[in-house]
Amino acid sequence: MKKFISFNLTASIFFVLGCSGPSGSPGISDNEILIGNVQDLSGPMKELGKLLPSGSNLYLDYVNNNGGVHGRNVRMLVEDAQYNPQKTVAVVKKLIEKEQIFCLYNVIGTSPVEAIRPLLEESGVPLIAPATQSGTMSDMSRPAARYIFHTDTGYDIQAGILTEYVIKLDPNAVIGVIYQDDDYGDNVLKGIEAIEYELNISVQKEAFQRGATEFSGQVMNLMKGGCTHVIIAGIVKEPIIIMKTAEAMGFSPQFLGISPTMDHRVALAAGSAGEGFIAANFAYLWDSDNEIPNLYRELCEKANVPVAMRGMYHYYGFTTAIILVEGLNRAGKNPTRKKLIRGMETFNNWNMAGTQPITYSRNDHAGAESVILVQVKDGVQQTISTWLE
Amino acid sequence: MKGRYADENIKWIPALIGLVILLPFMLKGITFSYKYYLYILNTIGIYLILTVGLDILSGYTGLISLGHAGFMAIGAYTSAILVDQVGLPFGFSLVLSPIIAGCFGFIIGFPALRVSGMYLGLTTMGFGFIIRRLIIALREWTQGSGGLAVSSPKLFGYTFNGDWANYFLVWTLAILSIVASRRMMKSKVGRAFMAIRDSEQAAEASGINLAQYKMMSFFISGVFAGLAGVLMAHTNHFISTDHFDNMLSIYFIIMVLVGGIGSIYGAVLGTIFIVLLENLIVPVIEEWLHVLFQIEAGDIESLIFGLIMFLFIIFQPTGLYGMWLKIRIYWKLFPFNPKQRFT
Repeated sequence: MKKFISFNLTASIFFVLGCSGPSGSPGISDNEILIGNVQDLSGPMKELGKLLPSGSNLYLDYVNNNGGVHGRNVRMLVEDAQYNPQKTVAVVKKLIEKEQIFCLYNVIGTSPVEAIRPLLEESGVPLIAPATQSGTMSDMSRPAARYIFHTDTGYDIQAGILTEYVIKLDPNAVIGVIYQDDDYGDNVLKGIEAIEYELNISVQKEAFQRGATEFSGQVMNLMKGGCTHVIIAGIVKEPIIIMKTAEAMGFSPQFLGISPTMDHRVALAAGSAGEGFIAANFAYLWDSDNEIPNLYRELCEKANVPVAMRGMYHYYGFTTAIILVEGLNRAGKNPTRKKLIRGMETFNNWNMAGTQPITYSRNDHAGAESVILVQVKDGVQQTISTWLE
Repeated sequence: MKGRYADENIKWIPALIGLVILLPFMLKGITFSYKYYLYILNTIGIYLILTVGLDILSGYTGLISLGHAGFMAIGAYTSAILVDQVGLPFGFSLVLSPIIAGCFGFIIGFPALRVSGMYLGLTTMGFGFIIRRLIIALREWTQGSGGLAVSSPKLFGYTFNGDWANYFLVWTLAILSIVASRRMMKSKVGRAFMAIRDSEQAAEASGINLAQYKMMSFFISGVFAGLAGVLMAHTNHFISTDHFDNMLSIYFIIMVLVGGIGSIYGAVLGTIFIVLLENLIVPVIEEWLHVLFQIEAGDIESLIFGLIMFLFIIFQPTGLYGMWLKIRIYWKLFPFNPKQRFT
């Protein structure tokens, strides 16, 4: 009993010693701004999870070597959540409570970001450029929407743009969509259903599970349906396998892809099956002759970034880091989270990130609603359109 | 007359309750980031409710389940729908949702009458897949794979908001689950479960109705998993199919195995050990590896879990609880302990 009492007394002393939180804006010191990044380094999206922060660090190093943001270096902590919402909540708690980050950036995945909305609401920590293009990110009616700044055109809008593009080219086109049966595919379907209603057309829908490697059933169904155009809502390996399967089955529609399929490795690995493949893209091609892609390639050379890493996903990390740094700049010399939010809301048709023009306001955090189309011609991706809305 | 539980050492219960009450205050006194540690403690509390139930099924009755994340999902989604869409009070859902999960367990118990071992494991794993597909198919209620926002728990007019309040709700139910399962395993039901595990023929010859008790074991285990699901949904405020993938079921099995299968305290110890390992120790190991050998964090977590499971199965099959019992007996007998007993 004595032991029990003394133990509880000790515990009570700790309780009495309980003190208040730290003063000042978390994550901001005299010479540093600390930001948190949550990636999938060992889960189903690990092929992307390593590329995005590498691209971001390429730009942050460039900024830090040129004086930083108002004299402060930007340091990024990367946590692995394996694309698991439960783990994302745990690591975001860690970043906010333990590491005391200033803001979150590039958290990967739709359901992981949805899972941390209550945390954002509770802590008031802004999330810049969630690494998902789901349209739900910019839905201002959702919890914590005022803290989330989306930089990409939603999957639903992209699906609508691609369908409309096809119908303009060929009013008699028979369109099919093959989608990943998860939150990503859900958002694509939402866009497809809206455009079906708007254009009074019917789109054949075929689902596959995330991580699937066998698509002959879905391809056979699309073939039976007489599809002339097929929109693929997958990532990297799915469009490759789907197009190769179709080629092997003698089925040759015009394939199109939602932006996660725009990686140049799709064109490389799909070979002849991928010839003519059109993908929606959030930015100018990383190897095109534009100001930001030129800077990207120059920094890649300087930092000896392996050639295998260079590409649209690496470039995505790079361009979203440009948007983050611009937001931090606009937050002023003495940044707070509220000032960062206010600063982000002053973006007006801002197109210095090598992406589509970005606009935010107090009631609109969508950022962008347009894509550019790229097509594989002779094994190389080429831009075939202007920004489509 | 000696009572049924007179032999049981229950002195630890007030100390444990005292510790559970004071722990958040201690954490607040020690660290600014106490909310993060409270979140980890809440995760431990929720998971241990499930692993205690899983231990009743696998450890006490000898029936393997690789689909417990599915039962958890049923509890979580049922409660989210009952409270936020049907409008039932949380208190009512806290009772009803686990029972519904238990009923699914009861149904899954049917194949257990015919298959066992690896085949039962595969059947329950299939159940986990079916539940995920069912959640996606019933998108009108579940919002498909997009996930479902869930309200905070509300009991007797009090809303449990944040990790601090959630902690007391989760750990009250966790302690009740531990005590209830211990009592249950010391009762006629528990003895019947153990008899089935040790020898089905002998149990049947002793008059134990195998079908009834096997299905009862699945039901009870499902109730615990469903309760864990309810708490997970309402304390995290968001659930999706990604929360309940089949790897989570494997993860629960690892907790029970590492803790010591066939012991309620073992399940508790295993859950605490694995959750702390994942959230506090693995990140430190990853950092060391990065600093010392420039190795990037990646699959190190799976590697460590696999290695731990392998080492426990080979060198410490009785788990952490078995290890603790050995140490306790060693010191009790010291210095008269026969050497061979502890090697």
